[in-house]
Amino acid sequence: MKPQDIDWLAVYPPLMLAVAALVVLLVDAFAGPARTRREAHAPAILAFAGVIAAGVVAAQMWDNERATFCIERALEGPTGCSFVVDRFTLVFWGIVLFGTAVVALLGTVALADGRTPPGEWNFLLLSSATGALVLAASRDLVTLLVALEVVSLPAFAMAGLRHGDRKAAEAALKFFLVSVTSTAVMLMGISLVYGATGSVFFDQINASLSTVSGDLRTVAVAGTLLTIVGLAFKVAAVPFHMWVPDTYVGAPVAVAAYLSVVSKAAGFVGLMLVLTYALPSFTEQWSPVVAVLAALTMTVGNVLALRQTHAVRLLAWSSVAQAGYILVPFGAVSGSEVGKEVLGASIGYLAIYAVVNLGAFSVAALVGTRHPTQQLDDYRGLVRGEPGAGWALAFALVALAGLPPAVVGLVAKVVVLDVAAGPATWLAVVMAVNVAIGLVYYARWLFVLFTPADDEHASRYDVPNAVALAIGATFTAALIFSVFPGWILDNAVSVLG
Amino acid sequence: MNHAYLDALVAAPFATALLVMLVGRRSEGAGVGLAVLGSLVIFGWSIPAVLEDRAVDAVWIESLDVHWHLLLDGISAPLLLLTTLVTLCCQIALVRHAPDCGGRASLAALLMLIESGVIGAFLAVDMVLFFLFFEVALIPMWFVINAWGDQHDPIGRRRAATRFLVFTVLGSALMIVGFLIVKADSGTFDITQVSSASTVAAVLVGIGLAVKTPLWPVHIWLPDAHAKAPTVGSVILAALLLKLGTYGFIRFWLPLVDPADDILPVFAGLAVVGIVYGALACLAQTDLKRLIAYSSVGHMGFVVLAITSYTTIGVQAAVYASVAHGLITGLLFFAAGAIKDRYGTGDLAELKALYGAVPRLAGVLAFAAMASLGLPGLAGFWGEMLAIRSALFAHDALPHDTFVVLSVIAALGVILTSAYFLVMMRTLLQGEPGPRGSSRDASEASQRVETKADLHWLEWAAWSPLLVLTVVLGVAPGLLLDPVATAMTGVLR
Repeated sequence: MKPQDIDWLAVYPPLMLAVAALVVLLVDAFAGPARTRREAHAPAILAFAGVIAAGVVAAQMWDNERATFCIERALEGPTGCSFVVDRFTLVFWGIVLFGTAVVALLGTVALADGRTPPGEWNFLLLSSATGALVLAASRDLVTLLVALEVVSLPAFAMAGLRHGDRKAAEAALKFFLVSVTSTAVMLMGISLVYGATGSVFFDQINASLSTVSGDLRTVAVAGTLLTIVGLAFKVAAVPFHMWVPDTYVGAPVAVAAYLSVVSKAAGFVGLMLVLTYALPSFTEQWSPVVAVLAALTMTVGNVLALRQTHAVRLLAWSSVAQAGYILVPFGAVSGSEVGKEVLGASIGYLAIYAVVNLGAFSVAALVGTRHPTQQLDDYRGLVRGEPGAGWALAFALVALAGLPPAVVGLVAKVVVLDVAAGPATWLAVVMAVNVAIGLVYYARWLFVLFTPADDEHASRYDVPNAVALAIGATFTAALIFSVFPGWILDNAVSVLG
Repeated sequence: MNHAYLDALVAAPFATALLVMLVGRRSEGAGVGLAVLGSLVIFGWSIPAVLEDRAVDAVWIESLDVHWHLLLDGISAPLLLLTTLVTLCCQIALVRHAPDCGGRASLAALLMLIESGVIGAFLAVDMVLFFLFFEVALIPMWFVINAWGDQHDPIGRRRAATRFLVFTVLGSALMIVGFLIVKADSGTFDITQVSSASTVAAVLVGIGLAVKTPLWPVHIWLPDAHAKAPTVGSVILAALLLKLGTYGFIRFWLPLVDPADDILPVFAGLAVVGIVYGALACLAQTDLKRLIAYSSVGHMGFVVLAITSYTTIGVQAAVYASVAHGLITGLLFFAAGAIKDRYGTGDLAELKALYGAVPRLAGVLAFAAMASLGLPGLAGFWGEMLAIRSALFAHDALPHDTFVVLSVIAALGVILTSAYFLVMMRTLLQGEPGPRGSSRDASEASQRVETKADLHWLEWAAWSPLLVLTVVLGVAPGLLLDPVATAMTGVLR
């Protein structure tokens, strides 16, 4: 075995985020408490710059696939690589970096009450995002698990960082307990899979699983299911969703946005990687499980969202429902291979969901500056009083509902249904029914936006630049992708070559 | 040239809507004026549609194989003209009739958005594109009902609007699932290249369209939505949005079904139940707008019955009856709205002797009711006559006896339809305007039907195209029937 060659270009993006995290922490420690508002924004600006830099480096790799941290085993066969940057990785990096940038911007508002230290908060944000980047590139179970924990651990702290806020602390604790449990379950599953196959590398697991038989097969199946259950906790699939609403509502809006987009996407990418690369030979075992999870998740999420009057809680339930839609393609897999349309549909939906959901959370963060209670009635007259934010939220809601003129949301649903219709028509029908249920609460909120406010003069917001940038970026992206849905979908669908 | 012509048909209403919204902020009147002008130009632009068939086909979303494929032929052209004309009439009607809650320009803009979606749906032959345009009209219509609907009943109109939205989206979501199964089987979203599909797909698409049409028993969203919507909303809903369903049946459902399957007789049976049910429900209505709404259920039953006969005559009848229903029901809702404006109610028990009070308005209502019940010589006659005829001579693969029975029941439905319209005319229009007898109720009721201003010239302007076309199509049905026959060659097996 020769010493490893590390392809530094491939690991630069996560490395840059990690370095940026340290810089933020050090600058904050040496600069002392911020005296002006501008100084308070310094950590966010540094974090934003780090994300942009990582994005620029990552973009260089679109046309050439890279792999590093490989182990060459001269006798036993093929090389196993732990860290691969291909299009799948890059599409996901795009989602994570976009999400992190928007959350960093939102953080400036959500932390403005002075009870959350911005330096630490941004350090945690970047650390968590580093984990998300590594996760997407990981191609073995151990790297995957470690990366997943790197995503989660800072997130607990972010949720509970607000000083003297009991609800936030409770939310963080709940989130922590659920997450640790899921990690334990997943670790159990991974160890069983490792025991049955003798490898942690995805492609080698796949190769051994297709030949495994007898008792070992039973062990491998048990391991597969446990791994899926562990990941289902992370993506908040029903019945592992209980932590979501309380955590989202208890934490600052920026953290809720992070959890619902970046952290959730991390869970999904873990699921996609494991199912697509490591366990495709067991589709008969896991596909029905995922299908049932998907159907339950979207139905429960939508039905419980119907009754909500708290905006962030509504978004929390809606994000549970959306997770169900993202799972649908994997519930419709058959045969011993996960087709590229399955993976493409899930990633495409995830990418579109990330953009529009961040848009909705950005506006919620803005409204939260004036109405911390986040009741739906607080959004009255937003379109007239604050057209920029109002229209952006309206568009995001219509996109989440999947209706024109937000073509992007509609096309995302069509892509997912396209995979399910045929192999799992019942699932497609369940999803169709759910789209109709979901419409009720999105439409209710939408109508509030357009209802004139009682007192016209009270509806003016002092929009901070950072939030204006966040709203503008998400809204513009959603609009562009609505006119040219191919720009996002063709790239997402092409991830497997 | 072809390219620009069809694209402009879809884009122009959309652009007009945006302009109207911007101008309407400054001045409501100017916004509505602009909307009238815009819809007039669009109507003019759509007239050459009858001259030749056109098509546009370009790749839109590569990864899904979705094409921007628009086609104008003998089936879509009449419906296209109906759309542009009815929208124009509605915009003219808005000039005079300001809704109580204001926001006239926004209402006009929403109507233009709906027009854009409806036109797109009538032109699209790509299944996903059809679905997309189908949905475009929904949110604006939901706003129209929710914000400008019956001002006396905010909870009712909100429920009506939400029910409309949920039912329609459920229908279209099932429809898209069906389309995607078709795609999985045949490899294309282009309906002109699809010749068969699995039964599941045909059923799903059929259910989706049945909600929109609407077919009994999924019609339950319709009476509320029509009754609670503002006048122009009811007109657009009845005259245009229901046609999306019937057009979808003709264009996107017939190529999918196999006449040897049981699916056609089942839908025919539902259609006939709808005819009878609609007529009976009409007899029990006390509200003018709800009565007209239920009459739509019956008329749509005839359209679907004609389609399920799987013959060219059936499709001719369906297109004909669709256009005729659009004109006549549009007129009926305009008249009902005008009565409601003048008397503040549409309750059949409170209104009477309108011939004496507002003779011209009453005359228009009587004319439209006569046309709707199928008086020969007016547009309503041909559609229903041909529908029954097509069911009598249905496709050879279909169970002959069943269809004969169904067409006999449908013919009975015609008689019931005549019955309720005649009852309505008797109670609403005829009678003595003055107090009769000494009871207090009678004198109270008679005070309500005092003489009011008769038709305004703007109302004449908005309604006369519908009136004239009802007569023209009744006298010269060949105008519509021949192009449809040409367009249907090769579609049916």
